[in-house]
Amino acid sequence: MKVGVSNLRVKYAGADTLLFNRLSLEIKEGEKVLFLGPSGCGKSTLLQILSGLIPHAVPVPMKADAKSIPTSSGVVFQDPDSQFCMPYVDEEMAFVLENRAVPQPEMEGLIRHYLEKVGLTFKDPHIEIGSLSQGMKQRLAIASMLALEPDVIFLDEPTALLDSAGTSDVWKTIKLMNAKQTMIIVEHKIDEVIDFVDRIVLFDSEGMMIADADPISVFSFYKHKMKEYGIWYPGVWDEHAKEKKLPAPYVKGKEILEINQLKGYRGKIPKIEVQHKTAHEGEWIVLTGKNGAGKTSFLLSLMNVMKTSGKKRVMNKELKTIKASREQLAFVFQNPEFQFVTNSVYDELAYSLEMMEDIGVEQKVHQWLENYDLKQVRTLHPYQLSTGQKRRLSVGTAMFGAQPILLLDEPTFGQDARNTFKLLALFEQLRENGMLILMVTHDEMIVRNYGTREWVIEEGKLTVDRDLRRREERQHHAVDFTV
Amino acid sequence: MQWTLQYKETWLHRLNPSFKLVFILALFLLLLFVHNPNFISNVTVVPFILVMFATGHRKKILAILMIPFLLLFFSSASSMMFFGQGTTTWWKWGIVHMTEESFFRGLHIGFRALNFALLGLLFALTTRPVFLFYSLIQQLKVPPRFAYSFMAAVRILPVMMEEFHQLRAALLIRGIKKKKGFARIMQSVSLYAVPLLSQSIRRAHRIAVAMEAKQFNNKERTYYYKQTLSRVDVYFLIYITIGFSLAYWVGTTFPYFDLTDVRN
Repeated sequence: MKVGVSNLRVKYAGADTLLFNRLSLEIKEGEKVLFLGPSGCGKSTLLQILSGLIPHAVPVPMKADAKSIPTSSGVVFQDPDSQFCMPYVDEEMAFVLENRAVPQPEMEGLIRHYLEKVGLTFKDPHIEIGSLSQGMKQRLAIASMLALEPDVIFLDEPTALLDSAGTSDVWKTIKLMNAKQTMIIVEHKIDEVIDFVDRIVLFDSEGMMIADADPISVFSFYKHKMKEYGIWYPGVWDEHAKEKKLPAPYVKGKEILEINQLKGYRGKIPKIEVQHKTAHEGEWIVLTGKNGAGKTSFLLSLMNVMKTSGKKRVMNKELKTIKASREQLAFVFQNPEFQFVTNSVYDELAYSLEMMEDIGVEQKVHQWLENYDLKQVRTLHPYQLSTGQKRRLSVGTAMFGAQPILLLDEPTFGQDARNTFKLLALFEQLRENGMLILMVTHDEMIVRNYGTREWVIEEGKLTVDRDLRRREERQHHAVDFTV
Repeated sequence: MQWTLQYKETWLHRLNPSFKLVFILALFLLLLFVHNPNFISNVTVVPFILVMFATGHRKKILAILMIPFLLLFFSSASSMMFFGQGTTTWWKWGIVHMTEESFFRGLHIGFRALNFALLGLLFALTTRPVFLFYSLIQQLKVPPRFAYSFMAAVRILPVMMEEFHQLRAALLIRGIKKKKGFARIMQSVSLYAVPLLSQSIRRAHRIAVAMEAKQFNNKERTYYYKQTLSRVDVYFLIYITIGFSLAYWVGTTFPYFDLTDVRN
């Protein structure tokens, strides 16, 4: 089985230029190919063309001299919450079997068979999909794709929205599949796939193919290009840490945050509990723990958006209302779009200042546009920005005042290397100027290179308080404070 | 978060959903042509017993669900009672004019509304959407592409609720300049509707593509669940027939009201 196109040309509505200009590509049977490129280079589009989804399911104008599209392809997409049309696991699996017109009596056995292939063993597969973890949902997506018995498997960033545990589970599952299976993959988390793929196709930002070779050659000859495009590649963190001399020196400032017997509730159920903690200027505290452990609830309790009991003080001022919290704590949300309330980037930044009836709005906003690298897009609607720009704007909107504390809820999630480092540099600068940063993250590299202290949250309780700077001094066993 | 209600499966859940739907719609029609208040007040007992004792839901939840229906009963009854026309005046105060005729007419309308509500509740509490759509395809020949699209839409609802909570928290943290009066309503609409809709449109598009990727098509297909008519459907039919007949017999033999036709 061979997949390929020759002289492919694609044009998106409203775009002046062609996305692919005379692109030719051929994939042999049994090959495992990884598409790499900066965001917006069209690698997902190409994957959808090769799988036959474009133009069959998604009408995009395209032309090619020759196309060979597999008769049956299986696609896994990135968003675990928008891949399923049925409420229960067994029903979703059955949906695929129904499409293939498999006789009803065979279905139950087949459902179990495919679920076992991805390591999902339920006593009764009649389980609500909504109750699964994100990683399990993606494995279910793989199982339902396998139920198509596809000739070629297409993976379109299957782990982009998963935490590290979910990511490795999903890749473990994929690696268990038949070694002869043809696969075409788009994935940013290169470390997971590097030893799995036989071939890497590298694109530039215009969708031109600039490399097509085995992984070792690509990484040795095109590293500079990957760096330029902000692609994650193995060793990128080491280089970054060296370049920025991480971890940076850290001077403990004066105490500004005090938490005492804090509890945050959803309804009557306590979602987070913190006994007694203090934090200082210039600290970068990373909050880690499993999905659903209560990290976001902790930040929301500090903001008084959740019902809370206990005390939280910033510079000896107690935070009792949302308004009081807002004046002391800048909060950057997980989904930046939810924080936007106006129709242009400029208005968005000016909004909170106008609300405080600040004078000199214009001057400040211009300075911010400069700081956050948003000057050239100041008249655009916030929704029109790229993901990196959206993220920077949401940081900007949160820090309107002179708040001494910054709360971040996974701000680098799903960002490319360039955007991630740009954001981290911004936060690092703020920290050096004495800001206290509390950041929820799943990224071990951020914890290691930027964090000064780690708070681990497990099952709604802050259980470990770890001094990360002392870990650097190799005092592995002496670092955890008692909680 | 838990969005589905916990319940025990009862015989009402095993009814064929299409049969249940058509039969209840037929009862709605029948009730429109009932004009005897004696009959309709007795009939209310029939769906009430089923809702209370045979839906398998907890009594507390049922009680909560009843509150809006009682309100519906009183509001529709009272508006007819106080402002209807009639010859035998009982009470007059300003524009309020209550007559014997309007009182009974109001009571009648109230009971009719209550019956509609109870039958609707009975259907909603004992029908899983998935079974309803499978049955619509199999018994009423609804094209699968519509039915499966509806099922996909049902799945988006809890995700939207979750997003609504996040959005609310984000806006609270951001702080909003509250406008006044009508502008305030427009402001909340744009603050909530725009992000929620834009998310939903993108999500719906992605689900549609995912369904196509799973080779969803208009060709011949098999079905995981087979929906058929069974004995319980007959039981339901018998229960309702006997219930309604009994209600009619009691209503005509031992009437509570002298009036037998509210239109006169």
